[in-house]
Amino acid sequence: MWRFLSTRILMGALTIWITTILVTLLIHAVPGDPVQIMYAQSQGTTPEQIEEVRRSLGLDRPIPVQYAMFMERLAQGDMGNTIRGGQPVLDVIMQRLPNTLVLACAAMFIAVLIGVPIGFLAAYHKGSLTDVTLMFVAIAGISMPHFWLGLVLLFFFAVELGWLPVSGNGWLNLVLPALTLGLSNAAIFARLTRSSMIDVMNQDFVQTAMAKGLPKALVLRRHVLRAGLLPVVTMMGLQFAFMMGGAIVVENIFSWNGVGRMAVEAIFQRDYPIIQGFILTFSVVVVLVAITIDALYAVLDPRIRRS
Amino acid sequence: MSVAPDIDVTKAPPGFLWRLVRSPSSAIGLVIVLLLIFCALFADVLAPYDPNKMGSGGRFLPPSGDFLLGTDEFGRDMLSRILFGSRITLLVGAVAVGISLTIGMAVGMIAAFRRGWIEAILMRSTDVLFSFTETLIALSFVAVLGPSLQNAIIAVGVAGIPFYSRTCYSAALVETSKPYFEASIAAGARPTRMVLVHLLPNVMPTMIVVATLGVSTAILAAAGLSFLGLGAQPPTSEWGYMLAGSRDYINRAPWLMTIPGIAIAITVLGFNLLGDGLRTSLDPVERK
Amino acid sequence: MTALLSVTDLSVAIGSKSLVKKVSFDVASGEVLSIVGESGSGKSMTAKALMGLLPNKASATGRAMFDGMDLLAPEVQPPRGTGIGLIFQEPMTALTPVLTIGLQLTEALVSHGICNAGEAQRRAIAMLDRVGIPSPADRMRQYPHELSGGMRQRVVIAMMMLLDPRILIADEPTTALDVTVQAQILDLLREIVTDTQIGLILITHDMGVVAEMADNVLVMKAGKAEEFGPVQRIFAAPEADYTTALLDAVPRIDASNSRKPALTEPLLKAGGINKTFAKRGAIFSKAARYKALDDVSLTMHRGETLALVGESGSGKTTLGRIIARLTEADTGTVTLSDTDLSALYGRELQDKRREVQMIFQDPYASLDPRHTVGRTIAEPMIIHQELSRSERSERVHELLEKVGLSADMAQRYPHEFSGGQRQRIAIARAIAAKPSLVVADEPTSALDVSIQAKVLDLLENLKRSEDLTLLFISHDLAVVRQIADRVAVMRNGRILELGPSAELFAEPRHPYTRALIDVAPVPNPTRKRGKRPVLQGDYPTGPLSEIGPGHWVAA
Repeated sequence: MWRFLSTRILMGALTIWITTILVTLLIHAVPGDPVQIMYAQSQGTTPEQIEEVRRSLGLDRPIPVQYAMFMERLAQGDMGNTIRGGQPVLDVIMQRLPNTLVLACAAMFIAVLIGVPIGFLAAYHKGSLTDVTLMFVAIAGISMPHFWLGLVLLFFFAVELGWLPVSGNGWLNLVLPALTLGLSNAAIFARLTRSSMIDVMNQDFVQTAMAKGLPKALVLRRHVLRAGLLPVVTMMGLQFAFMMGGAIVVENIFSWNGVGRMAVEAIFQRDYPIIQGFILTFSVVVVLVAITIDALYAVLDPRIRRS
Repeated sequence: MSVAPDIDVTKAPPGFLWRLVRSPSSAIGLVIVLLLIFCALFADVLAPYDPNKMGSGGRFLPPSGDFLLGTDEFGRDMLSRILFGSRITLLVGAVAVGISLTIGMAVGMIAAFRRGWIEAILMRSTDVLFSFTETLIALSFVAVLGPSLQNAIIAVGVAGIPFYSRTCYSAALVETSKPYFEASIAAGARPTRMVLVHLLPNVMPTMIVVATLGVSTAILAAAGLSFLGLGAQPPTSEWGYMLAGSRDYINRAPWLMTIPGIAIAITVLGFNLLGDGLRTSLDPVERK
Repeated sequence: MTALLSVTDLSVAIGSKSLVKKVSFDVASGEVLSIVGESGSGKSMTAKALMGLLPNKASATGRAMFDGMDLLAPEVQPPRGTGIGLIFQEPMTALTPVLTIGLQLTEALVSHGICNAGEAQRRAIAMLDRVGIPSPADRMRQYPHELSGGMRQRVVIAMMMLLDPRILIADEPTTALDVTVQAQILDLLREIVTDTQIGLILITHDMGVVAEMADNVLVMKAGKAEEFGPVQRIFAAPEADYTTALLDAVPRIDASNSRKPALTEPLLKAGGINKTFAKRGAIFSKAARYKALDDVSLTMHRGETLALVGESGSGKTTLGRIIARLTEADTGTVTLSDTDLSALYGRELQDKRREVQMIFQDPYASLDPRHTVGRTIAEPMIIHQELSRSERSERVHELLEKVGLSADMAQRYPHEFSGGQRQRIAIARAIAAKPSLVVADEPTSALDVSIQAKVLDLLENLKRSEDLTLLFISHDLAVVRQIADRVAVMRNGRILELGPSAELFAEPRHPYTRALIDVAPVPNPTRKRGKRPVLQGDYPTGPLSEIGPGHWVAA
């Protein structure tokens, strides 16, 4: 098991390291002079100030030196300052990151809670009308753009019915964005759970269990479910990353104050320090979650736990 | 060691097209996709008005006889915008998937064929890129190059590469470990021949399915970027962008929000159904 | 004595397709019935029908009287587990990987209400001991992946026997196991029958197993019962043509073999071959490596058939692949008539490859499904760019005829052919390049017995007509006996005995060879069946010394 985990952790560390390199190179991929572009929209910056920024970001030095400077600052928790307002990027991100995480977790919760049982039900009644209907609903769910779903929900529940507030940051505000993100992903979980369960049901060991004369319900509950849920756990890691991505859009629709919204604004304002900080944070979060889920999987699957 | 059946097996594809349309869901998917292609090709002819012409009619007109899908905040005809939008949607799907598919397949096949350290480097890089998630890659691309539809398409294309190379790699790995592959190597075939003549045709079916399903992902991704304002710019009649514009007028003109959304949903649904149908109908006919 | 199970006119059909046609047989207490047939004979379906485990779309008709009830009647729920038990073919996948052995053993007892959990534990441990599993108490907490194939099969047997059934159906229980393990499992089954007086229905395709185990035999073909009777009679005086043909096709390890090894010049020399495999994904572990070949050397003479024989893990396939340059050896050389093959790379290697061709075990994956058969056979010629298109086409037709197929098959695709036919096509491809050496890796193991005989004949004929040297890899001693001039017995990466076929079988000198020959099932029911000695772990594995002309044994 430790061999399995150490490989994963190694890969995670590698990913984060490569991210730091890519993030440093990001600025240079911009066509034109990045500093000029960054400050293009803010009036009243003198050429001296621009030069100052250029020097402090190390943009006039060779790239390896820049990278070293970047890493050194990073080690001290300094991700630079925003172009607008000059706040420390790290602070800005840390203020908003919890909101995004809460949203993603809530969405994951909803997605799993709705998707997995539906998938299981469909697999149990494979081939029947229930199965076909449920799967059609699922595929429709996947096809629906989540930003559109968000708008529709916003329209109905907030604007028309007034049950929920349109924007803000309280608990009640979490409902709609989480539902938006969660429902789209529930469909994916439903399909995956169904195919995983069907795969398991065709395996030999299920036949053996039946041959022992165990009642079908027991076979399903004890043999099929446990074996079939393993791939779903793996999928959770991947889906969390997607949800983080989806959160970017959803935060925009509902004005939810998370890092996604911040990132989009930053892109429009060409605020590269924030963009860099965002990419790095996003990567770190995704990697950490993936490793956690892998660890969970390693514990659940006796073939890995006991190797 | 299984004991092999000694019975003659029925012929497979040619029947595949028939099997495809036999299932109602994949038939529906096929129809939708064909409809989309039709609209895209003949948008010029089908559209009653110029999609970018402001004031074709009054502003915020609900769907009616003159304007089947109503008008938007600038008085532009929604139907025409939707029709021309289908052209963009198709373009997005084709180009983005085209990029992801060609590069992804090249990487995947080379890694599976070469093995050894080339494989390790290629696949580890793919894994790293994969963990960035497509959304992040696309966003980074646009952040660097600036918002535009073109950049959005390229961004989505590049963002999809890891997924396609991983999938192609797994499929190719299966084929390279089969005896027929080794038999050709044993006969003295050169690597180029192995990849082009044996590997490529045998991973194509899987990749076609993946690509079809991938078109829907690409369309959604590009629409998402446009929705955020990072993709299509005004006055392009791209569906995601149209959705973004509808936000301010949800109360006043709800059709502005519903119609582009439905268009996207139906298109994506079509490709998903088609892809699923392809997957089932390309399943090998024979069983061991 | 009334029969435990009495089946009359059992038929199974899926839709309009009939899989089992009016089969009748009886099984008495303490008796072993063997249902034998090739693939597609319907034997597994028969078993499933009795258990009520048929796939959804299938239906069964007829009568199967067991314990006063008709198992096939629609309202009857067959007493699975407690009345009739069923053991499947693949032990590696028969147990649920995420549950402990202990739970899987005890759950049925608890579920059927036979006893409580504590008592079930005790019984399970006792039964594990009974089926010969060491440290049974510890096993209870282990998971299936921690056990070998043979052990897993024992666990499955224990699982079924715990429920105290009156009938046990074993569907090809040993086909996926090594021959030494097979012997132990069969012994175990026989013991159980004697001790508990259950009725055992043993489904198999192996006539040797039938001869060793059965009291009565039911021969099936394409769903129909060809013959039913006591085992002695079936073997001595079969009434159905099919039975006769089947018995003729079975290779015999005790057949007389008057082959003499060819005294020709050496063609291939393999010297000092070493190969170690590392398990994928293992970075930091030593245990993940295993040595497939340990300093192996071999010489092949022109025109002979040399067989590499061994169980799984012996290294025989690896050696064959190294000779064909499909796998690279860590150290050692392979020389083909003065050319060091192991030193060639790139273009040179590709040009020389035509000299050594390979035939694989799995006929279904041996041909590119997207190319016509003709194109596949012509490939070696296309690669080496020798003949013009029309010349190639002619040669393809010629080759097809040589392997017993017809020339018009060149336009067809692999999926239109049966397993045996595909193997013939693979053979045609192998000889298309006019090689000097053909490596055949278990070419007939995946084929039915009757087809196997034909393909082996074909190989022999081609060897003569095409002037080939044949390296024949197999785990089946009977087949080897039939086809080989010289035999090399391998185990754990070393050659333990190497000598002329007739001598080796008549008087095996190495204890491992002797053990292998002893445990191989012989299709002769009159042979005395005693309990076979358990294979010990340690055998002499030292360097080979010559104990007779051309006969080498590990010290």
